[in-house]
Amino acid sequence: MIAGAASTLGGGRSVTRRIMPRYWAEEDRVTTYDERASLSDLTTTADRVRRSVEGVIEGKPEVVRLSLTVLLAEGHLLIEDVPGVGKTMLAKALARSLDCSVRRIQFTPDLLPSDITGVSVYDQQRRDFEFKPGAIFAQIVIGDEINRASPKTQSALLESMEERQVTVDGHTYELPGPFMVVATQNPVEMEGTYPLPEAQRDRFMARVSMGYPSPEAELRMLDAHAGFSPLDDLQPVAHAHEIVKMIDAVRSVHVAESVRRYAVDLVTATRHHPDLRLGASPRATLHLVRAAKAAAALAGRDFALPDDVRALAVAVLAHRLLPTAQAQLNRRTAELIVMDLLQRTPLPDPFGQQPPGARRL
Amino acid sequence: MNGRVWPAVCGALATLGAACAMLPLVDRTSWILQAALLLTVQSAVGVVARRVPLAAPLTIALQAVTSLLLLTVVFAREQAVAGVLPGPDVLQHFDHLLRESLDDIGRYAIPAPATVALRLLLVGGVLLVGLVVDALAVTYGGAAPAGLPLLALYSIGAGLAKGGSDWLLFLPAAAGYLLLLLAEGRERLSRWGRVFGGQPPSADGPAAIGAGRGPSPVRTGHRIGALVLGIALVAPAVLPSIGGGLLQPRGRGDGPGGSGGTISAVNPLVSLQNSLNQPENREVLRYRVAPPGGQDLYLRIVSLDRFDGASWRASERRITNVPMPMLPAPTGLAPEVRADPVGMSVAAADGYAQNYLPMPYPAQSVDRLTGQWRYEPEGRTLVGDHGQTTRGLRYEVAVLRVQPTAAQLAAAPAPPEALLREYTQVPDNVPAVVARTAREVTAGAANAYEQAIRLQDFFAVGGGFRYDTEVRSGSGHDAIARFLEEKRGFCVHFSFSMAAMARTLGIPARVAVGFTPGSPQADGSMSVGSKDAHAWPELYFEGAGWTRFEPTPSRGTQPEYTVAQAPTAPDPGAPVPAPSRRTVPSAAPSVDPACPPEQRKLAGCPGPASRASAAETGGSTSPLTVAGFALACLAALALPLLPMLWRIRTRARRLGGARSPGEPAARTLAAWRELTDSAWDYGIPPDDSRTPRMAADRIVVTARLEGPAAEAAGRVATAVERTLYAPGPSPAEGLAGDVELVRAGLHASAAPRARLRARLAPRSAVRIVRAAARRRSAAGAALRSGPVGRAWRRVGAALRGIAAGLRTGRRG
Repeated sequence: MIAGAASTLGGGRSVTRRIMPRYWAEEDRVTTYDERASLSDLTTTADRVRRSVEGVIEGKPEVVRLSLTVLLAEGHLLIEDVPGVGKTMLAKALARSLDCSVRRIQFTPDLLPSDITGVSVYDQQRRDFEFKPGAIFAQIVIGDEINRASPKTQSALLESMEERQVTVDGHTYELPGPFMVVATQNPVEMEGTYPLPEAQRDRFMARVSMGYPSPEAELRMLDAHAGFSPLDDLQPVAHAHEIVKMIDAVRSVHVAESVRRYAVDLVTATRHHPDLRLGASPRATLHLVRAAKAAAALAGRDFALPDDVRALAVAVLAHRLLPTAQAQLNRRTAELIVMDLLQRTPLPDPFGQQPPGARRL
Repeated sequence: MNGRVWPAVCGALATLGAACAMLPLVDRTSWILQAALLLTVQSAVGVVARRVPLAAPLTIALQAVTSLLLLTVVFAREQAVAGVLPGPDVLQHFDHLLRESLDDIGRYAIPAPATVALRLLLVGGVLLVGLVVDALAVTYGGAAPAGLPLLALYSIGAGLAKGGSDWLLFLPAAAGYLLLLLAEGRERLSRWGRVFGGQPPSADGPAAIGAGRGPSPVRTGHRIGALVLGIALVAPAVLPSIGGGLLQPRGRGDGPGGSGGTISAVNPLVSLQNSLNQPENREVLRYRVAPPGGQDLYLRIVSLDRFDGASWRASERRITNVPMPMLPAPTGLAPEVRADPVGMSVAAADGYAQNYLPMPYPAQSVDRLTGQWRYEPEGRTLVGDHGQTTRGLRYEVAVLRVQPTAAQLAAAPAPPEALLREYTQVPDNVPAVVARTAREVTAGAANAYEQAIRLQDFFAVGGGFRYDTEVRSGSGHDAIARFLEEKRGFCVHFSFSMAAMARTLGIPARVAVGFTPGSPQADGSMSVGSKDAHAWPELYFEGAGWTRFEPTPSRGTQPEYTVAQAPTAPDPGAPVPAPSRRTVPSAAPSVDPACPPEQRKLAGCPGPASRASAAETGGSTSPLTVAGFALACLAALALPLLPMLWRIRTRARRLGGARSPGEPAARTLAAWRELTDSAWDYGIPPDDSRTPRMAADRIVVTARLEGPAAEAAGRVATAVERTLYAPGPSPAEGLAGDVELVRAGLHASAAPRARLRARLAPRSAVRIVRAAARRRSAAGAALRSGPVGRAWRRVGAALRGIAAGLRTGRRG
């Protein structure tokens, strides 16, 4: 059983309450209007954030949009690219645009797990152990060059990402909501690094590559930001509790049965693809549908479309897949394979002439 | 390269199939076995040469040399060097034989005797076509063009056998070609590797037919081939006005040698000669005349009115229903000319199958006639329709015995212009000697009548001609000249020559074929035998109409008016003594006797006219037929419009949803389907791998829609998304209007041809076909899984089991 992500709602709730995958159970959830933002509120707020971030990251609207989507879908984002294209800048811009607590952890080989989770220190005056929260105790956590830390440290971070809580010395500390980890990873200069194992990459909802900016965007960047950091001007445009409401609104986005089936078909297909050594996990399905909901909400829709699923499939699925050696030799990257699957997986038939079973690959 | 055995075999088979069409041309069929044998060797050489492999031109050359050797061995062994090698002598001999065969073609009517020359021509021709077919279809690998030589071969046979060969001969020719196509297609397919059938063989017994590679395409090929053949055969027969369908019933008659001694031949004239030369005189008709005295009436079958320089033929004329109760008045018969009505009741023998009705010239009415008969006004003949013949027929004819006086004929005014023009046509290739002789014979004659008399006398009395039925009826442009020189011939020669000469003199003339009156019997009836077959000229005189003359010595009777006149010097006023019965020539009725007729046989007889008439017949028959034909025409016209009509109806149904209460979701989807189908009509096929918004975007981009149309497309796509994926019902208002907007946009951005196509032949009409196919396969699946299918499979399994048992048994 995969644990559903822990709630980011009210702090006092018991953790055990949501062990079931949230989204299947959620249909019955009753949400009142004051509890969640309306869709139009959501889109205007999201737009503000987006414009704010785009002011820093020139010419990468899709990347910004994807980051927002992941934020609203309660996921974590893995940014993977060569140095200097703005990975950290993106993470920081996003963090600063939100009025949230932000921590940045520079991962190094000597970073210890306790640096992340925190440590109990004996307080001699009170004659008790006192918990010193680690870097993870923030709403937006930026993990820079996460592959430079030792696996032990990495898993400390990844555990808290999944559980949204930290357990130190038998005490469990809930992390505040919203909670999002934006980790960056450098695919070159791999010597002496510890690339994330698949199991850990699976915890990130989406992976994104920044890519080089277009010449025009680069030119604009020179004009606008020469000499000073654009981050300095950034003001928060959304408050944390607004984000929580938005996340709540996203949860109530409707996903029709046919769209869910499409997502399942897509993920299932990765498990049978001859070019893949490892397919996507059920958690991937969960993430895919959740991300699709967020994307739909960002587009102002209260229902998800197969188009949302398609648009996110590469970002959500590719980093979890392991191509076979043969495929790697043939330069068939996971991205290409996912695109191929998108071509091959039948869409829901609007006219419903096929029996449900026939739709499977 | 495996030498391509299978296509080569099929090519040889196809050639033989087409060659079958020539079977009726000669009276023996053994030549085809010869041809088959040689063809086999030729193809085998080709196979071996390809397997070696030799270059394509070398292969062909080798085959050609082989064929030449074979022909030498078969046809010119004596002239050959060492009995095998074709030397110059052989070529000379072949040349000689070919010349002779051309002569034979001219000389004999069909079926011709199988002389050595003709056999060489046939076998050589088949080998040549076989070589071309083999080269095209196998050596160069293009079966389709190989149809041309095959068609040529078939056309020669079918064309010469006039009348068309019957459908039985069409089948092998067409089937052979289809087989060739099939083999070539299979060969081509097999290069791609193993062909997978639609189903595992175990599931379907019959699939095993196409043993070996590719059962599936072969099966399909069989089906298509059988279907095509069936349509080719049946369709013309079903369509009322296209004559010449192969299945059209034609004379029921049996071929030569059929029961009852049916008299048959391809050409009426030839049959005529055959009849005359038959050792026994078989009765073909028996009749009684009512006022006794009509016994000198010749019974006419058909008139040959087209002179091509070599021979006379019946031209093709329009035929009508038989006018009832009276036939129209005879052409050119003036009231002052004496014409006595005569009644005649005729009984045709059972063995006499003729599809013209024998009766004297000018018949006024025909009674008690059974069967389907039609009327040809120009020649005043009755033609059997749909294979109707005289076999065993009984009927009564009322005729006029026209008895002009010599004076009346001599004083005849000029014939009408049109008639004159038509019946005095003489082709340029008639030897000058014909006209010259005519002029010499008639020198000094005062009028047309006198000229005619002198011509008749020239042949019958003064010219030194001898009646001889052994002479070939002959053909060729110099046939008449030869006859004038040799002065030997029979009625055909006499009548042809006299009619031709009359035409050169400007007297309208034609040749009638039929019977002389026959011989009187004890019971007072007249019996007409096959030896009474006859041909005689008819000349036209205004006032008397078509008038019979009798140039043939020792046959028939010369009409009174010609005899009386013989003494010449018409005394204008002097009334010629009225005819006594013997001599009364019913002038007009060209009554003479007996050319027995003909034939029946498909090819037959009566020449082109009959067939043409049979064909036309269909067109103008009963109103019911006409209505049926009109209906068929309408249907044929409407057929191509079906897609358009279907499209219009479907569009109305899909977009009319607003009026007809329906679920909003269903209406939205219908509008969406209409939108995608409209785009399809304009060349943007639907794509299942696109979501609604992607599809709409694609339509907008591909068709370069702008403004309202593009927005409308977006609106429809959004509505579809809502319907499909949003919770709760969503209203579908105004979608019909949006779809129309998009359609207008598509229309505006399309090229004129695309617009026309979208309207007249919408691509999306394919849905009908697909739906039908789906239904069919569903039904098929139901059937297969049903009790019938299970039983069928069981039978198939049992058969296979037996076969397997036999195989192992044999091996053991």
